[in-house]
Parts: sequence; C-alpha cells; structure tokens
Amino acid sequence: MSSRRSRQSGSRISDDQIIELVSKLRQLLPEIRDRRPEKVSASKVLQETCNYIRSLHREVDDLSERLSQLLSTIDADSAEAAIIRSLIM
Amino acid sequence: MRSPSSLRQEFLKKWILGLQVCNSSKNMNVFERKKAIKLSADVAMASARNGKTCWSRALIVNASRNDNGKEFVEKILGSDYERQNKNSTMNRRTRCRKILKRSCTTIRKAMKRSTPSRPKVFAFSVAKKMIKKRTQLLKSVVPGGEFMDEVSLIEETLDYIISLRAQIDVMKSFANATEIENRKKDRQW
Repeated sequence: MSSRRSRQSGSRISDDQIIELVSKLRQLLPEIRDRRPEKVSASKVLQETCNYIRSLHREVDDLSERLSQLLSTIDADSAEAAIIRSLIM
Repeated sequence: MRSPSSLRQEFLKKWILGLQVCNSSKNMNVFERKKAIKLSADVAMASARNGKTCWSRALIVNASRNDNGKEFVEKILGSDYERQNKNSTMNRRTRCRKILKRSCTTIRKAMKRSTPSRPKVFAFSVAKKMIKKRTQLLKSVVPGGEFMDEVSLIEETLDYIISLRAQIDVMKSFANATEIENRKKDRQW
C-alpha cells in the first residue's frame, strides 16, 4: 500500500508524513488528545496507542463474555429474532 | 471515505451471519460460546474492510488457521473468501517477510559501517531506541504488524482503532438490547 511511497523517497521516510500520522493517532487517543502537542513525544503517543488498543481488546473480551451469558439464558429463535430486528431498524 | 455508522452497519450484517453459526451448534458451554462470539466478531470486523487493509487480511488468515475460525471465515466472507485467497495473501506475506528480512540485514550492515561515535549522537540514538521499542510493541498488538514499515504501521493502526471502536459500539448495543429483552421476558413470567 504505502510501502511503495516510502521506497520512492529513498530509504528515509518523510518526517512530515510521520508527524501528520502521529497527530492523527493523537486525536484518537482519549488520554492525550487534549494535551499540547509539544508536550507529547512520539514515543509517548506510541505507548499510549499500545495501551489503548490493549484496553479495546479487553473491552471486546468482556463484551463477548457478557453476551455469551446473556445468549445462553434466552431460548431459541423468537427472542433473538426480535432483538436483531430491533437493532437493524 | 467510510463513516463510522456505515462501518457499524457492515460489521453488524456480517456478525449476524457469524452469530447464526454460533446458535446452530447448541451444545456449547458459556466459555466456548464466548470464544465463538469473539472470533465471529473479529472476522466480521476484518471482513467489513473488504481486504483493503493489511491488518484485516492478516486477521482473517490467522482466523482461518483453526476449524472454528475457518467456519466463520467461510460463512461471513462466502464467495469473497475464495477470491481473496486466490490473490495469494499467504504468498505475499512470505514474500514480504523475506524482503523485509533482507532489507533489515542490509540496513544493519550499512549502519555498522557508518555509525559515528560522537556524544551528540548518543541522546538521539537513545530516543530512537525508545521509539524502536515502542514500535515493536505496537507491531505486536496490530494484526499483521510485523510485516509493516513505519508509515504503513501508523496508517493501519488508525484504521484498526476505528474498526475496533465500531465493533465495540455494536457489541455494546447488542448486549444492552439483549439484556432489556431478557428483563422484559422475566417480568412476563
């Protein structure tokens, strides 16, 4: 995808590209979104990103567990169909 | 490009296919069902990207490695699975890995020859090591990360985070709706 782009600019990846992408990442991270850009290093952004992704993984895991317990207590087709219908509408 | 709500809808459509597979096998205990729900959610999330990102392709390839995952992949991706498989994802991955290994060894050899040993460079190299370490960590949490260069890694991470959030939103709504349905039913009794 963009590996071709980096090969064109030689072996060095443009600093501006990285700065732009890192700032986009910062916008997504709830922890450091509002802090001033000069105070947040790229290293910190990477670290926060890893932590954030891990916490998202944990949330998916918890939701899967919750859903597993909920779905095992309702009986077959009618209730599930009703739920799914209400979600799609 | 793709709005969060369209991403959620794509995910939901595909996840429902996976959940139908889950419900058809009735003798699962709570733990097995949880794994099935999570696996089908991940495959659905990845397939909603239609093979456009590296992380989604890597996730699907990893999921296809065991029987349960393969079932979800075939159900959710259907005919797309055959097509994407034909684009030789695995071959591309092995090729990418070889190219990456070769370029890493070349770069390492070049750096050994040209590294200056001045103190000014020291602080800079420490910062670089930190970033390298954090980048390695990031590569370990993003599916398929080990094959990406720095720029792709950040782009893929952005996409991956947005997809994860859409997945969580839908799963949360589904869980809340199921709970409400359950409570309604209990009151009827």
